[in-house]
Amino acid sequence: MARIHVVTDTGSDLPEKIRQELNIHVVPLSIQFGDEIYRDGIDLSVAEFYQRLQNDDELPSTCQPSPADFQAKYLEIAEPGDTILSIHLSSRLSGTYQSSVIAGTMVAEEGIKVINIDTKSASIGIGLIAVEAARLIRAGIALEEILEKLNYAISEMQVFFVVDTLEYLRRNGRIGNAQALLGTLLNIKPILTLQDGVVSPLEKIRGKGRAIKRLKELARQVRAKYPDKDLSVGLTHAMVPNEAEQLALALKEELALTDDVILGMIGPTIGVHVGMGTMALLLHPKM
Amino acid sequence: MEVITGSVLKNMLLHAGALLAQQKDMVNSLNVFPVPDGDTGTNMSLTLNAALKEIEKVEPDNIGQLVSALARGSLMGARGNSGVILSQYFRGFAEGLADVTTEATAEDLARALRKSSETTYRAVMKPVEGTMLTVGREAAAAAAAAAEEGATAQQVLYAAYQAAAQAVQDSPKHLPVLKEAGVVDAGGQGLLCIFEGFVHGIEGKPLEYSALDVQPTAVVEKQEGITRIEGELVNKYCTEFLILGTKLDPDYVRSSLEPKGESMLVVGDERVVKVHIHTDHPGEVLEFCGALGNLTDIKIDNMQLQNEKYTEEHQHDFGSMSAPQGERKNIGLVAVVPGKGLADVFMSLGVDVIVPGGQTMNPSTEDLLRAVESVNADAVIILPNNKNVIFSANQVRELSDKPIGVVATRSIPQGITALMYYEPEASLEHNLEAMEEHKSEVKTGEVTYAVRATVAGDLQIEERDIIGLVEGKIAVVGQSTADVTRRLVESMVDEDSSVISIYYGEDQEAAEAEALYEELCEQYADCEIEIYSGGQPLYYYIVSVE
Repeated sequence: MARIHVVTDTGSDLPEKIRQELNIHVVPLSIQFGDEIYRDGIDLSVAEFYQRLQNDDELPSTCQPSPADFQAKYLEIAEPGDTILSIHLSSRLSGTYQSSVIAGTMVAEEGIKVINIDTKSASIGIGLIAVEAARLIRAGIALEEILEKLNYAISEMQVFFVVDTLEYLRRNGRIGNAQALLGTLLNIKPILTLQDGVVSPLEKIRGKGRAIKRLKELARQVRAKYPDKDLSVGLTHAMVPNEAEQLALALKEELALTDDVILGMIGPTIGVHVGMGTMALLLHPKM
Repeated sequence: MEVITGSVLKNMLLHAGALLAQQKDMVNSLNVFPVPDGDTGTNMSLTLNAALKEIEKVEPDNIGQLVSALARGSLMGARGNSGVILSQYFRGFAEGLADVTTEATAEDLARALRKSSETTYRAVMKPVEGTMLTVGREAAAAAAAAAEEGATAQQVLYAAYQAAAQAVQDSPKHLPVLKEAGVVDAGGQGLLCIFEGFVHGIEGKPLEYSALDVQPTAVVEKQEGITRIEGELVNKYCTEFLILGTKLDPDYVRSSLEPKGESMLVVGDERVVKVHIHTDHPGEVLEFCGALGNLTDIKIDNMQLQNEKYTEEHQHDFGSMSAPQGERKNIGLVAVVPGKGLADVFMSLGVDVIVPGGQTMNPSTEDLLRAVESVNADAVIILPNNKNVIFSANQVRELSDKPIGVVATRSIPQGITALMYYEPEASLEHNLEAMEEHKSEVKTGEVTYAVRATVAGDLQIEERDIIGLVEGKIAVVGQSTADVTRRLVESMVDEDSSVISIYYGEDQEAAEAEALYEELCEQYADCEIEIYSGGQPLYYYIVSVE
């Protein structure tokens, strides 16, 4: 019988436990420190990565998977007649989606149908869509309806993230110089969002504690915006597990969630761009 | 004296200026709060001096022109709240005498005093009795009563003076804070000095010295042209002259010159029009106006060169005060900030031009106007960061060609908090709304010393005591800055507090500040604590808690 598979990339920051549970496959992006190239999550652990990010003078860069990487993964998991939902990083932030599209055309002749999904998001925002897809598949929902629900989740996805410094976003060209230079003298924690798949500053808050409080308020505003809908919530962090766990517990209660908040670590793919100390809160209403 | 001629009126004003300059320290000492700021006497004196300089430029024969110069000069030179109110007082005075040419009668004088009072009441949003406003109103009422009974102009002035003196005496009855502090209202006292000067002038007393010869404070020098301009200045020729004619129309001159430059001021009447404009084409301006009448008192300054020269001479005083002027911005920012360290903080938050000032040195409307004009932006937001500067900042709205917004920030912490909500790409309205809404999310504490003994609530304060203020109200008294600051922070922090920022002043040892920082870190383990060198004068510490 033809099956539907879910593939994502390491930009999704999904914990391995959840991936295995829901049978979500992942294709790694590569991290390049100088001449050394590592595959995210395979050759390089999260802890090793942040240590090097802190200590190395040279800033690492990320490299999208090649179409061949995707082709190999698609062929590995799918039989002719199967469908693959390939769910990826915002096409405006990375070429990953593009590679998956090319790979899709390559496996089409093998009778494998790839549906490429640009989440216009990053980190657990991709993860939430992948999880939603896997759950809907498991519930036996028809493909057409699944896609409709995923599109709704993508269009309503709310993204808030707090960084310790704008330095990494600036050095990677994900934010303008003028923006990045603001407030470097004071202890200012910028809250950012993704707008049409691009990083955009939302607010500036003094102090990490207040910034986390503000994340909670923003989440409550989303709750109020969709009073009748269940929310799917993901929270990822770059080496600040205690703050993240506390916030996740608080959110589950305050937002009256059915499911737990999906708590993940920001891996190297995203970490290169945001740096240590970052916390990202992503949520979407379920259709 | 039945009537007042132009030269008598001028003499009255010169006497007022001299007397106020002489007594400004006495007026300063009347501050309700014994903190070394809010220099009402200095501000009023500087404002009046600016007006006197302006009247020196016109012939005293024509009273209408004389008072028009008085109004204009005081408006441009207005410093601090008291200075702005005084400028409005003179504006009303000028309106009342606008049609008078050679002689002002008792009725004219009474009408002018009434107009003066009315204009000040209109200028403030919430008039408070027991202040300069009351003194002006009582003087006007007495003048009107005397004029009705057929008094001479001189008698009308006496009546006004006596009523003003009584109103100053009575000011503590209206304002409990005055009574508690054992003082009369400083602004009212300042206005009374002006009336007393008027009386000396009308009596023909010799002028012992001219206020114009006195440099009232070093501050004036320090603030002159402080705004540094980088790159090529647009409209760099400050062009000023008078047009003499018979049927001049100031409105026509104004509308005709409008497209040729900015910072334009055109005032006058059928016979004399004064033009002030910043333009790149002074020749065209002169050519056009020369066809309307005779030009005189022509003065053209190249502001770019003046500024470069000034910057060269003063760059070591206060560091770089202006952001590099790149592309034209949507919304520019001007902030009034005391101290080098605080200036750096504000610049790091996107402020384009810093106007040095604050507590004791309230910048004039003209200083702010110049700063606003030097920003390469379509619209400008001013952060006064001091309650005594808000009023002057609001005046700039009327004088600038650009849309100007003022966020009424009353302290440095409020200014910083407002800047958190500055969005360079959003509209002026959106920015003003957001900044105004959030500016009070922070608590402000200040540590300074008492300039005189007083009582504030339950607190007995001796001269030179160290005092801590929360939101401008005295909350803590003590002998050491560290002790007072510690207790001040304690009174400000509650369970919702998470960030404590300390900005230490220019007279403060970094070592003491660091020690205080260590202590606070220990005591408030749940809070993030930051310490910066603010470099502000007179205030040992400025504390923000949010």
